[in-house]
Amino acid sequence: MAAEDRAGIGSQIPRNALALLMVAQAAVVLPHAMQLSPWIIIVCFVCGCWRTLVYQGRWDFPSRIIKAALVVSGSIGVILSSSNGFSLEAFVSLLVLAFAFKLVEMKSRRDAYVVIFLAYFVVATEFLFEQGLFVALYEFLAVIIVTAAMVGLNQMHTRVRPMASVRLATSLLLQALPLTVVLFLFFPRVMPLWNVPVPGNNAIGLQEEVSPGDLAELTQSDSVAFRVVFDDGTPVLYKQLYWRGVVYNVLEDGRWKAGDVPPGQPRIRMGASRQLGYEVLLEPTAQNWLYGLAVPAQLDARAKLTPDLRMLTRDPILSVFRYRMASAPGADFGVRLTEPEAQHETYIPEDSRNPRMDGYARKLYLSNPDTERFAEALLSRIRSQPYHYTLNPPALPRSGYIDSFWFDTQSGFCSHYASAFVYAMRSVGIPARMVGGYLGGELNPLSGHLVVRQYDAHAWAEVWVKGKGWRRYDPTGAVAPERVEQGLAAALSSQDRQSLSALTNARMGDTSMLGRMLYMFDSVEHNWNMFVVGFDGGVQEKFLSRWLGELTPARVGLVMLALGALCLALTALLLFFRRRPKSRDPVVRAYRRFVARASRLGFAQEPGETPGAFVARVGESVGVEPDQVQALTTSLEEALYNPEARPKTAHELSRGLRRLSVRLTFAAH
Amino acid sequence: MSEGVLNERFEQFLERRIPPSSSITLSQSNVFIFPTKTGFVFGFFIALLIIGAINYQASLVFGLAFLLGAMLMVTILYTFRNLSGLRLELAESRPGFVGEDVQFSVRVVRPSGRGREGVQLGWPGSIRQWAELADKEADVVRLYVRGSHRGWLDPGRLLIETYYPLGLLRAWTWVDLNARALVYPKPIFENLPRFTSGRRDEGVLVDPLGSDDFTDIKAYTRGDPIKHVIWRSYARSDGRDLQVKRFTSYQEPRLWLRFDDVQGDTEARLQRLTGMALRATREDREFGLELPAMNVRLQPGIGEAHLETVLRELALYGR
Repeated sequence: MAAEDRAGIGSQIPRNALALLMVAQAAVVLPHAMQLSPWIIIVCFVCGCWRTLVYQGRWDFPSRIIKAALVVSGSIGVILSSSNGFSLEAFVSLLVLAFAFKLVEMKSRRDAYVVIFLAYFVVATEFLFEQGLFVALYEFLAVIIVTAAMVGLNQMHTRVRPMASVRLATSLLLQALPLTVVLFLFFPRVMPLWNVPVPGNNAIGLQEEVSPGDLAELTQSDSVAFRVVFDDGTPVLYKQLYWRGVVYNVLEDGRWKAGDVPPGQPRIRMGASRQLGYEVLLEPTAQNWLYGLAVPAQLDARAKLTPDLRMLTRDPILSVFRYRMASAPGADFGVRLTEPEAQHETYIPEDSRNPRMDGYARKLYLSNPDTERFAEALLSRIRSQPYHYTLNPPALPRSGYIDSFWFDTQSGFCSHYASAFVYAMRSVGIPARMVGGYLGGELNPLSGHLVVRQYDAHAWAEVWVKGKGWRRYDPTGAVAPERVEQGLAAALSSQDRQSLSALTNARMGDTSMLGRMLYMFDSVEHNWNMFVVGFDGGVQEKFLSRWLGELTPARVGLVMLALGALCLALTALLLFFRRRPKSRDPVVRAYRRFVARASRLGFAQEPGETPGAFVARVGESVGVEPDQVQALTTSLEEALYNPEARPKTAHELSRGLRRLSVRLTFAAH
Repeated sequence: MSEGVLNERFEQFLERRIPPSSSITLSQSNVFIFPTKTGFVFGFFIALLIIGAINYQASLVFGLAFLLGAMLMVTILYTFRNLSGLRLELAESRPGFVGEDVQFSVRVVRPSGRGREGVQLGWPGSIRQWAELADKEADVVRLYVRGSHRGWLDPGRLLIETYYPLGLLRAWTWVDLNARALVYPKPIFENLPRFTSGRRDEGVLVDPLGSDDFTDIKAYTRGDPIKHVIWRSYARSDGRDLQVKRFTSYQEPRLWLRFDDVQGDTEARLQRLTGMALRATREDREFGLELPAMNVRLQPGIGEAHLETVLRELALYGR
């Protein structure tokens, strides 16, 4: 671009572009406020102000020393505020800082291009943290502003119309959308080339450990945990939908933990049970387990089924993860238990003992010496005694909390009941464990999928029954059957319900206008996840082979090229053959038609000729009576130049012109 | 293949593709388009985004990369459209002197409707000028070329280019508008022969009290120059008879600028003659030109038009 540089003005940044770049900076950095340390956002803001002052001539560009100092202190700041080495957050922090500093020091067009490319990069990094529909729409707007700045760079310095640049950038990007869709659908999706630093854990959901209060906190959140599309309609029975995720089988220091994966293969006895196929779109959890109904019969190849029926992936789930599976609700598993397993699932460490519970359970077991009867006895105590189901239970002591819950406070949340139940089992030597997951979900009537939200988080018990294997027991069902049968909102007192997030269907109910709108939003987001965010290699293959049959690289490439060329051709049509805007005045339209026809027949209007003179010339040359020509030209001029005369003469005039062109046609042949 | 041969080939290609004409309308047959260096960097940047998207398996990063790539493709149409339909005409070319800038005016007319931005014009090796076509339908762009030697100046093909709208692509064309301008010799004004050297028989009296030719003797009147007093006759007449000699200056009314009358080699002589012609015109003198070697004899004349004829002969001497 030597020629450009020589042009003098070519190397400066037009004002228009500068203003747009400042707006673009704010637009692309703003969403990062969620992930980055606040000081980086402040630095960006200060840099923006600094550049504005430089532009106004009230301050100076940073000197070389200040620039070096800024870069060094910025890097040190990033290192200090990043907790886990060179993480993705640290990388993005550096990128955003570089972007802000470059904005301050940029002088030439080349610098401006660097800033613009960095801005696109900052947009891309935001998608590593968040790929929701609204974020995508927002970033599309941000990309428009960045592109508008690039347009401004190529406009004359005298042009100060930023909105015109924004409009141009908008149409440019909108016209690029069809081609984008083609590329998105056809561009081959390959597996990752190498391992990359991953975003830190800011996902919410079930954790590796649970203490009784944890799940109650989750119920404050209405964010989506996952969505499920069943192959043939959603099962209507709410209480079948126990989404199993993590198995808490280690009691340690009063807390339940997910133990190590036991060796061996899962032992499942399918029996004659029906299989239920479905697809799950799991939102990022930062954990490596998947959720599914018991008992998994078929599973996505990217996950491994452990003997305790956890479905584990190799890496934590950091973006929407889409998987297919099938479950056999009636199947048995773990019918024969190995000795180490039995020991592991009955172990209670000494420091976690609850002596009153131990004594109570031993006595109860003596009168009910069978696992199932013992469990039933425990549940009937919950039913008969004044136990409460509440999200806001009274505080419990850290050690021996099961005793104080079971005998004193008697009010708690699902995890309280489940942990007390499992503890009681283990204390009499029955293998039992706590299972964390979600219960139920909300059927979206618009698209028929099931939405499971964080407030559906639930904990229940699994007890090993001799000859039958592991059986699910949900002690919460004993205290609050509505929770198990209808969902959280039904089980809560009106006071508790107030603490739920306002904008959920659990709070609103389904019938209200707002409730329907919430379903609609959910539907849109679900489709977004299904077809955009969740569009990976597998989905692509299925989609393309449905349309193209057998997928050979040549076929896919050819179709992509053909469709891409079609998109570009359509855009070209739009750009180059835009029709001349039709006049709304019937007289003008009639006259234009006449001129077009006359010129086809060899009568071109001379540059200086008035419409009247032209019509007169044409009329005379085809031998129309002079007084008729006179009448026509008079009424034409009247109609064109006298606004009040128009409505009266328009119709008559159009007919006159039409007659004249008919005469002309005959004369020409 | 040497660069010279390549350039020649390219010239021939252009000659066939865009033949010289005084008015050229740009269309897909004569506009070229190619990414700029920034455009290639942008392409590399998109490739980087795609690699990132693959490694993070992030659909929306793919989406962004594809959007930017598609935008680059659509920009091809936009950049081309920015030049397409423009009509270029040579409006005027003004002669100049060696060492000065010679001005060519090029009229750029766009079709009615959408405005054009960022259209730049320039001769090879000169500064680009922007045509203001955003709000106006036509603009006259003045382009300057340094006149390096006398004679016809052919500025070569005119470059019309645009980087609009994104600066990632450059659409350009080279048109030959048959533009040429005369470059006059660089005038020399120093040590020119004096014009006041005509003879009495064909000159006109320009100064009755001149100093060149003796005319007659007359009685002294007050105001006559002292140095013209004939002191000898004054002494002889014992101081009664104070007489003065009268001289007059005559100038040839029709000045002849003759190649043979001036000093130096051919170029120097032409430069001097140019200087003389300019001075004569400034002083409103009638003058003619004689270039014997070229069989040129321009009858004396006066005024700007005559000056132009004379300068033209001087510029084209021997060419």
